Amino acid sequence: MAATATVNEIASGSRRGAFGRPRSRLWLLAVPMTLFFVVFFVLPVLSLLADSFDKPMAGRVAPHGDFVLTNFIRFFSLPQYYNSALLTIEISVISSIVAAILGYPLAYVIAKIEHPTWNTVLMILVLASMQLDGVIRLYGMMVLLGDNGLINGTLARWHYIDKPLPLMYNVFGVIVGTVQITLPFMVLSLIGIIRGIHPSFEEAARSLGASRWRAFRSVTLPLTMPGLLAGMLLVFALSSSSYVVAALMGGWKVWVLPIHIFERISNSGQWQFGAALSTILFVINISAVFVYQAVSSRLTGGRT
Amino acid sequence: MRDAVRFHWIIWLGSAAALVVLLLPVVIVVLAGLTAGEYLTFPPQGLSLRWIANFLQSPTFFPAYLFSLELALITMVISSLMGTMAAVYLIRSRSKGVAAMRGLFMSPIVLPGLVLGLALYVFYVTTNIGLARTFGGLLIGHVLVTSPFVLATVSAALVGFDVSLEEAARSLGAGPFQAFRLITLKIIEPSVGAGAIFAFIISFGQFDLSLYLGTPNLTGLPYAMYISLRYKFEPTAAAAGIFAIALVVVSMVLSSRLVNLTKLVSNTRLRW
Repeated sequence: MAATATVNEIASGSRRGAFGRPRSRLWLLAVPMTLFFVVFFVLPVLSLLADSFDKPMAGRVAPHGDFVLTNFIRFFSLPQYYNSALLTIEISVISSIVAAILGYPLAYVIAKIEHPTWNTVLMILVLASMQLDGVIRLYGMMVLLGDNGLINGTLARWHYIDKPLPLMYNVFGVIVGTVQITLPFMVLSLIGIIRGIHPSFEEAARSLGASRWRAFRSVTLPLTMPGLLAGMLLVFALSSSSYVVAALMGGWKVWVLPIHIFERISNSGQWQFGAALSTILFVINISAVFVYQAVSSRLTGGRT
Repeated sequence: MRDAVRFHWIIWLGSAAALVVLLLPVVIVVLAGLTAGEYLTFPPQGLSLRWIANFLQSPTFFPAYLFSLELALITMVISSLMGTMAAVYLIRSRSKGVAAMRGLFMSPIVLPGLVLGLALYVFYVTTNIGLARTFGGLLIGHVLVTSPFVLATVSAALVGFDVSLEEAARSLGAGPFQAFRLITLKIIEPSVGAGAIFAFIISFGQFDLSLYLGTPNLTGLPYAMYISLRYKFEPTAAAAGIFAIALVVVSMVLSSRLVNLTKLVSNTRLRW
C-alpha cells in the first residue's frame, strides 16, 4: 500500500520533503516574509493612498481619514501637473523603445554564445552594471555630457563649436541617463527567452531559402516578443519612477512626476498633494501593465 | 570561433554599442578618480592617487562608505534568511495563493523607491512606532527592496530541484529536517549565496529610499555622492565611486563562481 501511495503522490505531482508532508508545517516558512510585507509594505502603501484623499493641510503627514478629491481635482486642473504626467509617459516610452533596440543585439549574443568564459564575462558586465549604484553611473554620464564635460570641452578646445551642445539638463539628457540605467534590465529579460528558442527553428527557415534577416524577422523576433514586451514594461516602470536620473541629468529643468512629488513635499510640506501625485504615478505604471497584457495577448493570439 | 561566424555584423555592432553605453560611464568614473588634474579632460592629464587619498581622509565620503557597508551587511543577513524561507515555501506549496504571494513579494522591484520611502515615512509617523528617520526604519526599506532578488535567485535554483533526492534520504532513515539540511540546503546553498550577494550590492547602491528615510547621520555613499553632484564634480566622489565599483565587480565574480549566471537569468523571468 505504501508503494501505491508513493506512486499516486508522484503522479499527482506531490512534492514531499521535510516541509512537504501532508498536514505539514511548510507554511511556517512563509510567515516572516508575509508578516513583514503586510506590515511594512501593504499598510504603508495603503496609508499613502489614504493620504492622497485627505483634505490638503500643509505640514500634516498622517492620513486623517477624510475622503475628498481636492488633490486630484488640483492635478487635473493645473497644466503644469497634467503636462508633467504626459512628459513622464513620453520619456518612459521613448526610453523603453531605445533600450529595446540597444538591448536586443547584446542579449542575442549573450544568449547564443557558447564559449563559457566569454559568456560569463558578458554576464558579469551586464549584472555588474545593473547593480552598480545609479548615482555613480550618473556621475560618469555628467562628466561626459556636461557643458564643460568631456565631449563639449574637447570639441571646444579643438574649435569645432563655439558654445556647448545641449547634451544635458534637458529631456535628451534624461532619456540618455534613463536608457543607461535601465538597459541591463532589458538585456536580462531578453536573454532567457532567446535562449529558450531552439536554433533549429531559425535553421529550418534558412534552409527553406529565407535570408538571415527574413529568418530573424519572421521566426526569432515573433518568438521573443513576450520577453521584449516584458523588458519594455520593466524599463517603462523604472524610468517613470526614477527621481535621481531626472534630478541630476535634468538639472531641475525637466519636471517629471517624481521631481514634482519631491518638490511639493520637501519644499512646501504638501503631503496630501504629494501622495496624490504618487498615486497617479502608480496608476500610470499599472495602466502600462494593462497595455502590456493587452498587446501580448493579441500578439500571441490569447496564448500566454 | 564558430560563434564569431554565426552572427550578422549588425548584431555585433549593436551589442558593441550597448556595451559602450553600459560601460563608458563606469570607465569615466574610474579615470576621473585617478586623474592628476582638478577635473577629467580628454586626453587625460596623467594618473595620480591624490583623490583616492582625499577620499580615505574625507569627513563625508569615507564615513558614508562605511555606513553603506554596515547597512548592506545587516540587510543581506535579514533578506537572505527571509527570502530563502519564502522561496522554499513558494516552490513546494500547492496552495492557490502562491501566485498572488509571489506577486506581492516581487512588487518592490517596480514600486518607485521614492514612493516606497514616502509611504514608509508616512506610515512611521502615523503609527508613531519610533521608526521615522532611524536606522531601523531605513533598514526595513532596504530589506523590502532587496528580498525580491533573494527570492527570485533561490526560486530559480529550486525550480529544477528533484524532490526524490530528499525522499531517498528520508527512506534511508534521515529525519525530515536532517534530510532538508543535508540534501536540499546543500544543493541550493550556492544560489542562497548568490542571492545574498545581490541583496548586499543592491542595498549598497540604494539611493531613492534615503530621500525620506535618511538623515544627515544616516547617509550612505549614494546619497553623499548625490549631494556633492548637485553642486560640483568632485574627483573625491569619483574616487569613492572606484571603491564601490571594485566592490560590485568582486561580488559579481564571486557569484559567478557560485551559480551559472546565464542559467540563473534564464530561470528568473519577471512576470506580471
